[in-house]
Amino acid sequence: MLELRDISKTFNPGTINEVRSLRQVSFSIEDGSFVTVIGTNGSGKSTLLNAVAGTFFVDSGSIRLGGRDVTRWPEHRRAALIGRVFQNPFSGTAPSMSIAENLALAARRGRSRGFGPALGAGWMRELHDRVRVLHMGLENRLENAIGTLSGGERQALTLLMATWLRPEILLLDEHTAALDPKSGDKVIRVSEDIIARDKLTALMVTHSMSQAATLGDRLIMMHRGRIIYDVRGAEKQRLRPADLLARFEEVRRGEQLDETAADMLKRAYV
Amino acid sequence: MTLVIGALTIGLILSVLALGVYISFRIFDFPDITAEGSITLGAAVAAILLVAGMNPFVATTAAFCAGMAAGSLTGVLHTKFKINGLLSGILVMTALYSVNLHVMGKSNVPLLSATTFGNYAEDAARALGMTGSMRLLGWEVSVRDVSILVAVFGAIVMTSVLLDRFFRTHLGTAMRATGDNPQMIRALGVDVGVMMILGLGVSNGLIAVAGALLAQYQGFADVQMGIGMLVWGLASVIIGEALVGVRSLGLSIVGTIMGSVLFRLLVAMALRWGLDPNDLKLITAIFVFGALVLPALLAKLRWRKPQVAHA
Repeated sequence: MLELRDISKTFNPGTINEVRSLRQVSFSIEDGSFVTVIGTNGSGKSTLLNAVAGTFFVDSGSIRLGGRDVTRWPEHRRAALIGRVFQNPFSGTAPSMSIAENLALAARRGRSRGFGPALGAGWMRELHDRVRVLHMGLENRLENAIGTLSGGERQALTLLMATWLRPEILLLDEHTAALDPKSGDKVIRVSEDIIARDKLTALMVTHSMSQAATLGDRLIMMHRGRIIYDVRGAEKQRLRPADLLARFEEVRRGEQLDETAADMLKRAYV
Repeated sequence: MTLVIGALTIGLILSVLALGVYISFRIFDFPDITAEGSITLGAAVAAILLVAGMNPFVATTAAFCAGMAAGSLTGVLHTKFKINGLLSGILVMTALYSVNLHVMGKSNVPLLSATTFGNYAEDAARALGMTGSMRLLGWEVSVRDVSILVAVFGAIVMTSVLLDRFFRTHLGTAMRATGDNPQMIRALGVDVGVMMILGLGVSNGLIAVAGALLAQYQGFADVQMGIGMLVWGLASVIIGEALVGVRSLGLSIVGTIMGSVLFRLLVAMALRWGLDPNDLKLITAIFVFGALVLPALLAKLRWRKPQVAHA
């Protein structure tokens, strides 16, 4: 279970580049829930994910994960509870190391790393079986360097790595945005399968209306550092991409109104 | 032939330095100039212990520990105090100059009367019934020189096997991943700073061992002996990559050792043919410069060619 209470984050405070990325965001995700996050550019959706992952510390508020207060935990410590897949396929794997070595690194996420051999006996067989689930033929190329794989293959492997040990929460940050449509679909299918099979709790940022509408059991929409829309259950199941577009349009119009209102005020008082 | 044996021995001794540089420069992508201080530190620590009558193995191990402390310190400056990498190395290297003088008590410690690993090697050869001189490929050579070469070779083989094994353990793979993709390994729960500190420790430990062996081989430790050593190590690593490529960890280790030996042989030949020893470091630096920029330059030329054909 993930619980965020009043978290705020401002980047470059006090400068002209000041960005208030998160404004007192509060929400929680129950165990086993799969939440999709959409929002306009700069709405804070990726910042929200990074705040949970610990890429930076929040300015205020608290983050609880799996019953523990992780607000002041550094990123590498939180990693024991979190599986992550990044937007950039190059971010999630070590390119010059083999597929087997990358997975061996993931198999000790959050655990101590000593002088035992990374590729011990028996490990390769387990590896073979679990990589085969991806249906990409990678189980026959375990000795190959990751750098020789395509973006889609890397993202699928990163997903496997993030979930090798069951995470308290799986964070997916637009993890198909950089892929061609075909590999993107494939990675989405693999994500769905793994999340359903292991009954994982997941938070997925996406730019795709159709992904947001069809995947998961709950959807939140962000705008200017706030959650402006939160649907779940039957309402979420009825949701269509067109409904989301309509919501966005509403937000846009609301903003234009704000600007006109601001102009009126300016004319009246300045 | 004696000249060749000497060049091979020094080449092998300095390959331990090259392996250390390989760790910092290639695995962590960190140009660590601490090397110039830690090689002298290793020589100084070993020399003082040997003069005090300590066993050469103990003295060399102590050198490893001292080098490891120096390297870790650079790592701490860089990761905990957020000092620029190159500057962290420069600070520690500069501080080590004074430390080394204190350790040695003077700028040069001769080891002529001390028992070094060379004496052990010679004793071993004598136990096998070999004394004085022997014939090798038709050349008359001293048994002492050959036994030292064999001993150094054995030590290098052992070191590289250990190193290869280490970089295949859970800890070692985490270190390699730290250099390869820090974002990824952090997301897998590894403290990147700690990996860097440990890695630079191992790197400088090895470099200090090279210093300890070099001091024992040439019969003295000198406070100036570290100058230019980082570039020397870089040259060895680069030659090694040209020889065997970068396909795997094991090959890279073997390549680095071969690179160091080959480079030393080339230098010995050049000196023999009348190269002014004063120009040695200049030429080494130019060589490394060339090795760093040539690949990109060649790629650019290759890329331009079709355009010329069109014009």
